[in-house]
Amino acid sequence: MSGASARSLAKGSAPPGPVPEGLIRVYSMRFCPFAQRTLLVLKAKGIRHEIININLKNKPEWFFKKNPFGLVPVLENSQGQLIYESAITCEYLDEAYPGKKLLPDDPYEKACQKMVFELFSKVPSLVTSFLRRRNEEDCSGLKAELRKELSKLEEVLTNKKTTFFGGSSLSMTDYLIWPWFERLEILELNDCVDHTPKLKLWMAAMRQDPAVSALLTDPKALRGFFNLYLQNSPEACDYGL
Amino acid sequence: MRFCPYAHRTRLVLRAKGIRHEVININLRNKPEWYYTKHPFGQIPVLENSKCQLIYESVIACEYLDDAYPGRKLYPYDPYERARQKMLLELFYKILGYQNTIFFGGDCISMIDYLFWPWFERLDVYGIADCLNHTPALRLWTAAMKQDPTVCALLIDKNIFLGFLNLYFQNNPDAFDYGLTC
Repeated sequence: MSGASARSLAKGSAPPGPVPEGLIRVYSMRFCPFAQRTLLVLKAKGIRHEIININLKNKPEWFFKKNPFGLVPVLENSQGQLIYESAITCEYLDEAYPGKKLLPDDPYEKACQKMVFELFSKVPSLVTSFLRRRNEEDCSGLKAELRKELSKLEEVLTNKKTTFFGGSSLSMTDYLIWPWFERLEILELNDCVDHTPKLKLWMAAMRQDPAVSALLTDPKALRGFFNLYLQNSPEACDYGL
Repeated sequence: MRFCPYAHRTRLVLRAKGIRHEVININLRNKPEWYYTKHPFGQIPVLENSKCQLIYESVIACEYLDDAYPGRKLYPYDPYERARQKMLLELFYKILGYQNTIFFGGDCISMIDYLFWPWFERLDVYGIADCLNHTPALRLWTAAMKQDPTVCALLIDKNIFLGFLNLYFQNNPDAFDYGLTC
């Protein structure tokens, strides 16, 4: 499994060659929460993969041939098939590879996981908004909105009476939402889970998971990245290397 | 609700797979109080089965039906082909979501609006009235487009278009001249 800590490829870089047989490639960025979803699933399922990091502030021209939207994550396999949109990449990996199934086989249980995931849908943009505005005086409105969204998730855990969103063990929804919870502390948003005790317990349980702990981002590096990223620096994506 | 495009999706899948079902229409402007026990925000469509399991969000409901019921599979078996279909759906949402102004290119009609219009005009001819709460931006766009002199001048008459389609699907060579008087 290579490339996790490799320098990102930027404009002017040569396009990478085809993906070798037996491997799947993920175009990623070390600090991207969406790409982290895909990396978590790759790790959790033990899928052999290689990582190519992309400089999102100075994208290589060839990258738009991989994803017309120019976003990470993107999967590329040895047949040259390309899959993008983080949730779609995760589901693809679960379907295409053997081993532990992260989505349940039962149609209703699978639908439940997807309905819970929908409840999370406003969180990423709220966290991004907060990141961009945290130096402004009044983020209380944003924080209140975030708390409201998080309480929906708390309700799910309360009703299900389980540790994780899919039951007693970790499954797809847990991995899909985790990257934003990892960032709460660094963004000083930890108090947003003050009134959601089950979510707090869930966060602690997540940190015990081997895939989650293997992919935990160093908080100092994340802070360094945020600072440079907000200044649109082309060095942001390689912070700490 | 009979005119909601999201609920329409679910009814299409139910029909395509030959799934026995009953339909309960909800008045979206005057929702029954009990409906919030089916969906926390009172949206449609919602599926309910005999085990009292509730499934909502139109795309999730459609996938559930494909998974849970036998017969013709609507999603492909191949994981990559499945992923491709889902990526296409995201593209569709991006088109709908790309609008933050009346027209797709800004406050005035421009090329992209004309490039999209023919398909939407044909949908409009079928009289698919937009769902009351969904895609208001698209509804506004359609109305705004119909005020453009160019669009107006070339608007297809609904009856003529339906007459054409009727003959066309019968492979009738006279289809193309339908509605011409001489």
